[in-house]
Amino acid sequence: MSETPAPESVATPPVASEQTQNNPPATTNGDATNATKKISPAELKKQKQAEKQARRAQAKGPGGAEDQQQASTKDGQKQQKDSKQAPKDDKSRPMPARRKPSQSNVPATKEAKKEPSKEPKKVGLFFGHLYSQPKQQSMKGASKDVHPAVSALGLQYSSYAICGSTARMVAMLLAFKAVIASYQTPPGTSLARHLTNHHLSPQIEYLKSCRPLSISMGNAIRWLKDIIIKIDPSTPENEAKRDLLEEIDIFIRERVTAADKLICELATKKIEPGDVVLTYAASSIVEQAILHAHKAGINFSVIVVDSKPLFEGKTLARKLANQGISVQYYLITGASHAVKDATKVFLGAHAMMSNGRLYSRVGTAVVSMLASAHSLPVIVLCQSVKFTEKVALDSIVGNEVAPAEEILSEAERQELLPLKSLLPSNSAKNDDKTAPEEAKPDTTDVLKWIDDSKNLNFLQVLYDVTPAHYINMVITEYGSLPPSSVPVVHRLSTNT
Amino acid sequence: MATDSDKKPLPAFDIVSTYRRILNDDPELTMPVAAIEALVEAIAQSSVSTVAETLDLLERHTAALKASIANPISLSAGTDLFQRYLITTLNRPASLNLGPDDDFRAIRNHLLSNGKLFVERAKQSREKIASFGKHFIRDGAVVLTNGGSRVVGALLRRAAESSTIRFKVIYVLPPSSSSDSNEGHQTVADLRAHNVPVAAINDSAVAYSLGKVDMVIVGAEGVVENGGIISRMGTYQMGLLAKSKGKPFYVVAESHKFVRLYPLSQFDLPIEQKVLDFKVTDDAKAKTKSGEQKDAVDEGIADMNTKPKKCLGLEAHDAVDFTPPDLISGIITESGVLTPSAVSEELIKIWF
Amino acid sequence: MAQSTTIQAPGLSSYLKSLKTTPVDPSVEHLISLLKRRQIRNSRPCAIATTALLLRVVGEFKGRDAAKLVERIRQVGRRLTSAQPREVVVGNIVRRVLGLVREVVDDQADGQTPTGSEPGHSTPHAHHDSLHRPAFASSMSTFSPLRHAGAEPSHIGVSADNMSDSGELSRRPALLTSHTSYAPAAVAGLVVNSLFGLFSQPADTPSATSTPTGQASPTGKSTLTALNLERLADLSKSQPNLDLKGEVMEGIRELQDELETSDKQIAEVALEHIHANEIILTHTASTTVQKFLLFAARKRKFTVVHAETYPHDHAATHGILLTGKKRESRPGEDDEDDKWKPLTDAGIQVYVIPDSHVFAIMSRVNKVILATHTVLANGGLVAAAGAHMIAKAAKEHQTPVVVLSGVYKLSPVYPFDIDELIEHGDAGSVVPYEDGEFVDKVDVEAPLYDYVPADLVDLYITNLGGHAPSYLYRIVADHYRSEDITL
Repeated sequence: MSETPAPESVATPPVASEQTQNNPPATTNGDATNATKKISPAELKKQKQAEKQARRAQAKGPGGAEDQQQASTKDGQKQQKDSKQAPKDDKSRPMPARRKPSQSNVPATKEAKKEPSKEPKKVGLFFGHLYSQPKQQSMKGASKDVHPAVSALGLQYSSYAICGSTARMVAMLLAFKAVIASYQTPPGTSLARHLTNHHLSPQIEYLKSCRPLSISMGNAIRWLKDIIIKIDPSTPENEAKRDLLEEIDIFIRERVTAADKLICELATKKIEPGDVVLTYAASSIVEQAILHAHKAGINFSVIVVDSKPLFEGKTLARKLANQGISVQYYLITGASHAVKDATKVFLGAHAMMSNGRLYSRVGTAVVSMLASAHSLPVIVLCQSVKFTEKVALDSIVGNEVAPAEEILSEAERQELLPLKSLLPSNSAKNDDKTAPEEAKPDTTDVLKWIDDSKNLNFLQVLYDVTPAHYINMVITEYGSLPPSSVPVVHRLSTNT
Repeated sequence: MATDSDKKPLPAFDIVSTYRRILNDDPELTMPVAAIEALVEAIAQSSVSTVAETLDLLERHTAALKASIANPISLSAGTDLFQRYLITTLNRPASLNLGPDDDFRAIRNHLLSNGKLFVERAKQSREKIASFGKHFIRDGAVVLTNGGSRVVGALLRRAAESSTIRFKVIYVLPPSSSSDSNEGHQTVADLRAHNVPVAAINDSAVAYSLGKVDMVIVGAEGVVENGGIISRMGTYQMGLLAKSKGKPFYVVAESHKFVRLYPLSQFDLPIEQKVLDFKVTDDAKAKTKSGEQKDAVDEGIADMNTKPKKCLGLEAHDAVDFTPPDLISGIITESGVLTPSAVSEELIKIWF
Repeated sequence: MAQSTTIQAPGLSSYLKSLKTTPVDPSVEHLISLLKRRQIRNSRPCAIATTALLLRVVGEFKGRDAAKLVERIRQVGRRLTSAQPREVVVGNIVRRVLGLVREVVDDQADGQTPTGSEPGHSTPHAHHDSLHRPAFASSMSTFSPLRHAGAEPSHIGVSADNMSDSGELSRRPALLTSHTSYAPAAVAGLVVNSLFGLFSQPADTPSATSTPTGQASPTGKSTLTALNLERLADLSKSQPNLDLKGEVMEGIRELQDELETSDKQIAEVALEHIHANEIILTHTASTTVQKFLLFAARKRKFTVVHAETYPHDHAATHGILLTGKKRESRPGEDDEDDKWKPLTDAGIQVYVIPDSHVFAIMSRVNKVILATHTVLANGGLVAAAGAHMIAKAAKEHQTPVVVLSGVYKLSPVYPFDIDELIEHGDAGSVVPYEDGEFVDKVDVEAPLYDYVPADLVDLYITNLGGHAPSYLYRIVADHYRSEDITL
């Protein structure tokens, strides 16, 4: 942990340093998964020890503390990568619709159990440094500190029910409003000092344990902490809280709602009649822009390229089609055909890096590469709240690992079931399944096979980094800019 | 038999004027073929009777011919091929299944009696290329081409005549002053007459237009050993641009334009070109020069210009450049589409 | 023998069984229907089925007239290719077999005194471009497989008029009606040079394919050139002793052997291409690739990253990684030699990634190995969807791309229209049918194949060794006779 914060603090001194302080305590608290975190300062301990104990006990249940420890030793610290950044960001309404295709609940619990044993094996070649802790899959791990709104939100994060950088950030801010509203400053301290460190941090840690924070969330958190710290200690608590809530609303309005509108306007100008707009996966801002252009009466069609496992694009395609836009739908393996028909590419972003690279849903780089090879203009729509001072060269150093099980949908597992008799290790397996022939086929067996197969690993990350030279234009609420100007705008947006 | 044929009378036969006459008589002819024609006539007019004499005669005439024009690259494709052909056949009399005594005369007779056939054959090649190459033009395609190459023109016309293909052409036209321009304008007019939409652009608009282009087709003056081409000035830059935009770049050339030459760069051509002409203001011509340079880019399929000049350097508007093989997607010849590497094989086969 | 390789399709093995008992003509029909219904699909099964069928066809052929045999094979071949034009390999096999017939005839002709220099012997129009250079032939087909799709029995489709002026079609009647003349390819050591085409007499039938270097002069005078080496053999008359059928069948059996062993031969060079600790990226459940990697795994430890090729090949991919077998194979149908262990059992770390991860992971990959569906004469290839983006991403990362392909997948077809070669799969594999509403409203595309241009490929490995993409034209030329390019 110590390493990651350091660079940040350099970059944005006030906020970041604040954050570094905060983080460690937060970690300990929040998480069920204790092991990964370094241990917290003393203050922490004071705090509700009893509760902690209890929590830990719980935590072991699902997660298996020991395994996590192993994992964490290998490479523990990735989760913070997202957490720093101060700017604001936003996005208006969450896009709720992305669900994992197949496994709703049943597999989830099973996976959770399996995970520990699997983790050590998978921590391998490429993203070993990214496996820190298994995702929080249930509420069990949540500490008492965690506000109900936040713990519910955490689940939605980990199940991808709320997905998308802006949506997650907005949802988080809304949850924080609830947290702040119910907050009572303990006697002997001030809101400005206590709220962030001792009350918000556990929430953040919990969210982090559900899914690593997005860049925009990091930016928003930084902004929020900044606001809190600036509260005059003499302000009455009620007033302070009211101000805070207002600030949050304004933030969402300005940085998300208004920004979206501006970006839509700008993007619409770039859509001409007859265009074929290609987009990858789903981005709420791209969706808004397309719908906006459609309502403006421009006659164009859309190609949605999608990929497993989230199939976000399917939802987008459906929405657009329902609005009467003609939509073609490809999976990413067909992307090289899709770009042939397209005239423009619009992409959403998880974040824009300061070296002009785009950090977005994995597969975006492929699509932009193909588009750029076809001389299609590649346009990124991105609110400035998603800009970060971080840089990245490839998609491996910093990324978010998704559980490997998610690669195989229920249907796919089903398809693989007949293979059972062919498994090389079949004989060994027989103990497991008492009657190999007739045991009721259970799709989770497939996962088990994979798990048992010594050298077979499934890898899945959520993002990739698109080189700046594939990108022709970034549209933000500040206007349109080349990717090289990202750091300029980032400075602008964080300083004001 | 070698006795009486005197070599002195030879100069009496003016190979150069013969060559020019042949070219002028039939504007459809390409330089290499005209050169071969001229050489055949030279043989006919002479009384050589041995292999050695014939080759010697050829060599002198070829040299004279090459010396007479500024850009002998295309021409030398013809003369070299002819020479190589004679050597190969003369040295392998057995292959003819003829009596050893007859071989030379047989060949000579064949050459003399069939001189016109070469021309026919050459023209046929062009037609073949056209009918075959038009398959490259897909329905709905936008084709970028340049210059006054007649093969390209034939190909486009053929495609235009086919009712099933609708396509558009962006034609980089030489300025009207150049010798090429007639051919170019003619092609444009023909295509338009066939309901093929043609946009005529200046060479400077190539990069601008490229976004709308599906494929580039150019002609060539000579196809060199590494599979690159020598073509009118401006082809190289089209190739570079096409490559950078990932557009297929096809060359259309009859296989008698394959020439034994291996240029390493633009300045490694066996001709002198006055393209780069550095001057300072003092020079009165500075102004003119810039105008000329513009022409340069536009002109130059030399195989059609019958340049009367004997000057040492090639004037800018006739200049050529060298397009390296890595820019070329395929070379459409009368016998198929060759990859640049196949050109090398073909040349190797006749020279070694 | 062929049965042994019936891995993928149940349709294939049952077909091969039925072939033993069914007469030829119904067998042809049977294969056509299997091809049409896609019950036999993918290059290898198609190749095996076609070879087996042609073996029967030749075996049943009555008479000793080579021209008729050629015509018979052609006719079967045309029907097969038009049944499933995108299985280019079917056409390849047919052409290979045609080439075999011609070769047998040529060899025979070589052994005889050149009778053919009397040109009056055969009708002039039979003397078409017999000495045509394979090199040129290689790259020149105007044949575009899909154009045949519309009009199966005859070529008189929309495209017939387009094609006829290419000379290829117009030449066919000559073949049908006359005794075809064959010329030994590159006879007697004298290389005939196509560049000299200019000097030979004009062809009677303008033939697009040829630079007819060795034409018999129609006038019957002494032929023009030293290049005229051809012996115009009137086959049915001049080779009374020729065991045409036997030799051709022998050749076909060799072809079958080639099909069977090509994977092995390709695998055997694996160690020259994979060194220790490499990270190799591949895709699909290709048997060729798996065997290649397995062979290398015997001696070296390396890491494989496997893109799962969703949605068309993922099940097989996962299957092959888990079990070493594709899903369709049934125990009992496998012969010994198709049993192989999954790579993971050989101690190779395999990482399965979704296709979208290709770019992200490419920066760590040392080498990309692609399987292929068909390789085209210009060095490009048609491979499972996703191959293009993999190759392109590799290019962007300067990672070498190696393509494994049996020579039988090498096609003389020039890809004029790439889109014609791309088969589109079932939308149901992209979006489940339950989601009918979605399918109604949204245009779901499921291309099965990608075209990968030659410049994205660094190396081809065939059962003949490694080749640069620029050299493929020569390999093609060596395997197909120019006369056969248009079936």
